[in-house]
Amino acid sequence: MRSPFSLKQEFLKKWILGLQRCRSSKKNMSIFERKKVIKLSADVAMASARKGTTCWSRALIADAVKEGNADKHLAEKILGPASERQPTKKVPVGAMAYNKRIRSKKILKRSSVIRRTIKCAPQAARPSSIVKTLVGKRRQILRSLIPGGEFMNGVSLIEETLDYIISLRAQVDVMRSLASASKLVNLN
Amino acid sequence: MDVGEKDKYELEKRNDNSLNYQASGMSSAWQFGGSNLTSTPMSLVSSDNPLVIGSSSASASMGDSFCSNLWEHPSNSQNLGFCDINVQNGASSSNATGIGRGGPASVRGSIDRPFEMGWNASSSMLKGGIFLPNASGVLPSSLSQLPTDSAFIERAAKFSSFNGGNFSDIVNPFGIPEAMGVYARGVGLMQGPQDVYTISGIKSISGVESQRSKLITTEASRDLPAENRATQESPLKNERNGGSLVRSNEEAKQGNGGSGNESNEAESSGGAGGHEPSALDGTAGESSAKILSSKKRKRSVQEAEVDQAKGSQSPVEATKDGAENQQKVDQNQTTMVNKTTAKHGKQGSQASDLPKEEYIHVRARRGQATNSHSLAERVRREKISERMKFLQDLVPGCNKVTGKAVMLDEIINYVQSLQRQVEFLSMKLATVNPRVDCNIEGLLAKDIIQSRAGPSTLGFSPDLSVGYPPLHPSQPGLGPGGFPVMENNADIIRRTLSSHFTPMTGGFKEPNQLSNAWEDELHNVVQMNYGTSTASDSQEVNGSQPSGHTKVEL
Repeated sequence: MRSPFSLKQEFLKKWILGLQRCRSSKKNMSIFERKKVIKLSADVAMASARKGTTCWSRALIADAVKEGNADKHLAEKILGPASERQPTKKVPVGAMAYNKRIRSKKILKRSSVIRRTIKCAPQAARPSSIVKTLVGKRRQILRSLIPGGEFMNGVSLIEETLDYIISLRAQVDVMRSLASASKLVNLN
Repeated sequence: MDVGEKDKYELEKRNDNSLNYQASGMSSAWQFGGSNLTSTPMSLVSSDNPLVIGSSSASASMGDSFCSNLWEHPSNSQNLGFCDINVQNGASSSNATGIGRGGPASVRGSIDRPFEMGWNASSSMLKGGIFLPNASGVLPSSLSQLPTDSAFIERAAKFSSFNGGNFSDIVNPFGIPEAMGVYARGVGLMQGPQDVYTISGIKSISGVESQRSKLITTEASRDLPAENRATQESPLKNERNGGSLVRSNEEAKQGNGGSGNESNEAESSGGAGGHEPSALDGTAGESSAKILSSKKRKRSVQEAEVDQAKGSQSPVEATKDGAENQQKVDQNQTTMVNKTTAKHGKQGSQASDLPKEEYIHVRARRGQATNSHSLAERVRREKISERMKFLQDLVPGCNKVTGKAVMLDEIINYVQSLQRQVEFLSMKLATVNPRVDCNIEGLLAKDIIQSRAGPSTLGFSPDLSVGYPPLHPSQPGLGPGGFPVMENNADIIRRTLSSHFTPMTGGFKEPNQLSNAWEDELHNVVQMNYGTSTASDSQEVNGSQPSGHTKVEL
């Protein structure tokens, strides 16, 4: 397991590089713009720290640079020239097909569930099915939280969650210490 | 004896599981109860077992006899499960509930003994569904067809004399199936999928009982404590069952010698069985399991025998083989073998010390459908439960939580809170720094020139130390006490960072080198806040600690 220390190092390094790259020409960036830049660069840095090994990191970067995104140019600037970007060769065709399969399965499931619920409502009273729906609902929520979570099945969802939690924790730690350090510096 | 007791405990836990499972099979009307062990006198169990497994009267009688024994081990989740099963006969009243709970514990105790002796049939049948991982090893060996009810009654009486814990120990996975047969009712609550296990029905129970009579004399004392421990250790919840059972199994293994092997394996299987139940919970809704009847048990018995044979041959973990051997010895109940083999497969995937196999060797549990879909489903569930355990350690406050839904809730809350924290901190950083990268400059403006030499030279202590003094005034809040440690950390960090960064600096332009220096400084700053925890990390990373220490004195 990657040590958290090296992860933080990696994240910090990439984050600072990203911030540098984002040095805007206009001096009077609004606070929200700054916050956006900071957050985006931090997220991208954390995702790239994983070097494309995890699904959520790839999904996060892909989301940042997709066509419909408002900050696409910013994300691209942060990531740097295309040559420097992490190779994401694992993603392509297989993942897309897998995603499509999952989506179609979900649609099928949803339609069948609707039919089922209409027919046999009392079955929902059974404890096992209740548990299933409880767990399933929470799984849906979790999928919406984790970037790229819609494409993961049960087992990988939990693994991705694990990795995502670790990365988030490291990110929060680094940002917090940086904030406190800069506060101290500003006090002087 | 302590160890043996532990084993028994585990066995009991497993037995509980098996009992639970089987109980559900016994009568769908029975409701699985839950959690408290009510000791039912063993005698009751024995007498009832041959007669009517699913009958409420049996449960009632069992409950009475076991009540005394089981009360002492309330923590045994498994026992509890069994108790509930027994109790919950459709017609059972509060008495029955008490009996049911007691029953499993006591029954287990008695059952374990016979199981260890070599019962295969009943135990395997009982355990087949639930404790596949656990039961396979223990049950087959100990279970043998119960010759007479009277013998069982005698044993039950003997067991009742033991403290409740013993009973739980005896319950070893094999015992559980028997108990399950008797207490099949209780399982329902424990785990949805446990319905499968309830299949054991009457036949298994009677078989179990006969076995118990054999085993009681020898294994009783040892089994009971082991099972008690086992049951106590394993939480009632599915998620925990597997984990705790594994632990208890390990404990059992350590503790027991001779016959302890069986109990150990039973425990390990119980542990594995625990996993199974937890995994099964995920699948839930396996109402089809309830439909399973004694016929399935027979089938499973046969399968268990086959499995036993295969099990020994398969290159499974050593423990598995041991369990299988024992199973073969007792092969009366093939279902148990099924469980053991399944357990072995699961053990491979479990977070135990056993080596991992390339593929999971899974066998159909007793009473479960053997088509590939359900097997794959089971494997998948086990994987999920395994990962959930990791998540439990990661998410704070999840240790006490049991159940997938609640744990997922906690995880969701934690992820949401972390994401909100990132938002808040980025906003805070935006307010602190007028420019995006201004913070870096502000922090390192003075130190950049001084520290620039540091990163470029590996382990160049003087440069690093030069960088320290400028940092110190800027961090008065850190306190004098923290400095020596932090300096140490900072030195180490710098060195490691420089070692990290020098390869990068080659391709970097000047500003990047600056950024590297900044990163070093920032890392130092960051490390200062991390405290000693990170110090240990950095020290591990960088072996040149003495130099760091010397710097402190500068």
